Amino acid sequence: MIDCDVHNNWTTADVLLEHLAPAFRDYLERGELPGGRGSFPHAHRPWLHPEDFKRTDAAPPDGGAAGSDHRLMREQLLDRYDVDFAVLTGEEAIEVSTLANPHYAQALAGAYNDWLVTEWLPLDPRLRGSLVVAPHDPEGAAREVRRLGGRPDIVQVLVSTGAQRPYGDPFYDPIWDACAEVGLPLAAHLGGQGGVNANPTGCGPPTFFWEAHALLCETGMGHVASVIAHGVFERWPGARLVLIECGTAWLPALLWRLDADYRALRKETPWLKRLPSEYARDHVRLTTQPLEVPRNPAALWPALEDVGARDMLLFASDYPHWDFDDPRLVPVPRDWREGVMDGNARALYGLG
Amino acid sequence: MSRHVVCAAADIPPGGRRIVEVAGRSVGVFNVGGRFYALANRCPHRGGALCEGPVCGTVLPAADRTFTYGREGEILRCAWHGWEFEIATGRALADPSVRARTFAVAIEDGAVVMTV
Repeated sequence: MIDCDVHNNWTTADVLLEHLAPAFRDYLERGELPGGRGSFPHAHRPWLHPEDFKRTDAAPPDGGAAGSDHRLMREQLLDRYDVDFAVLTGEEAIEVSTLANPHYAQALAGAYNDWLVTEWLPLDPRLRGSLVVAPHDPEGAAREVRRLGGRPDIVQVLVSTGAQRPYGDPFYDPIWDACAEVGLPLAAHLGGQGGVNANPTGCGPPTFFWEAHALLCETGMGHVASVIAHGVFERWPGARLVLIECGTAWLPALLWRLDADYRALRKETPWLKRLPSEYARDHVRLTTQPLEVPRNPAALWPALEDVGARDMLLFASDYPHWDFDDPRLVPVPRDWREGVMDGNARALYGLG
Repeated sequence: MSRHVVCAAADIPPGGRRIVEVAGRSVGVFNVGGRFYALANRCPHRGGALCEGPVCGTVLPAADRTFTYGREGEILRCAWHGWEFEIATGRALADPSVRARTFAVAIEDGAVVMTV
């Protein structure tokens, strides 16, 4: 079984100091922070979870932050559920996308990546890492992908779904180019809904946390449409887009609509050679958590089957967050389980 | 049906809880203002560690936009997804058709006795 969204955390962002070049170490050491000493520079989303967003049983006994203690992660997740591989996605690092200064953002992402490969990945042979980049600095992000992306314990490049423009925009070409060169998927994890990323939802800001959380699949839909329409998968045939924590049930509706509109207006994007749904089937992957559960749990799967999602979905628990999905209880149909719980991620990430 | 002595009543003061193994299952025993209740330590939503979550109050239902905090100590939130349950009945506040398993508890000679 492979868990494609596990959050490794720090208790203080000061762990990054030793991994920053002097210019930006000075920013983090003496500069303004969004919270107290040890808080991570980012612009926080305007929806605050009224119960905090961590499982309350995931706080380590030493008083550290949930997700900061590898031993507890091993006990509550890796050993308990017999996880073969866990893809680490960090905690706040992807929020660098909310900072106005793309150079500081990229420096912080790079410091996180160094901390990841020195402090986390050596802890357990089951851990795999996601390389965080600041997408609003595409050239810097590409350098970061080339710097560390060739490591065997790094399986993808990671950004937030909150973005200043969708990821098919030619602005991001250097990132797709670097991902293709090192052979890594680009993953977008739910997050980055603040600061310079001003459009996390389509019709203006929702009011309440649960309202916003349910709607944040919207950004994932936008990225899928953009990446397909701009022809990313024609220009880089090995490219993969992974959406993490954006839900799954919307995928058939989106692809049916994209196919219908593309058929009518193909001439806007003459570089495309296939239907949007065909590109999606081969190049787009979605993690399952938080899996939508209809009143009749079986109602979810026929529509997903229609667009080939059996080969597109990757199980994720989101440990240690409040909307954790238990791999033993997640209602994946029997004949989908091998692929969704294991095989699809193995093929995507080249895991043995 | 079997009876199990869990602990001394004095071991769980008002507002307190104890998670115990009874007849092979994990159960949370709660003292809410001097009354004792027992719930299965398994959330009916997704099987989470229900009884390890915070005991708290909540915002009371309202017809308008008033936010009144009440029921302090009567509500248990699941440690995983935060669903709210009434400790006394095991019912979920947002959907009373969802109910955590409850067990009968009595105080006999100063001991907490549970019937499973």
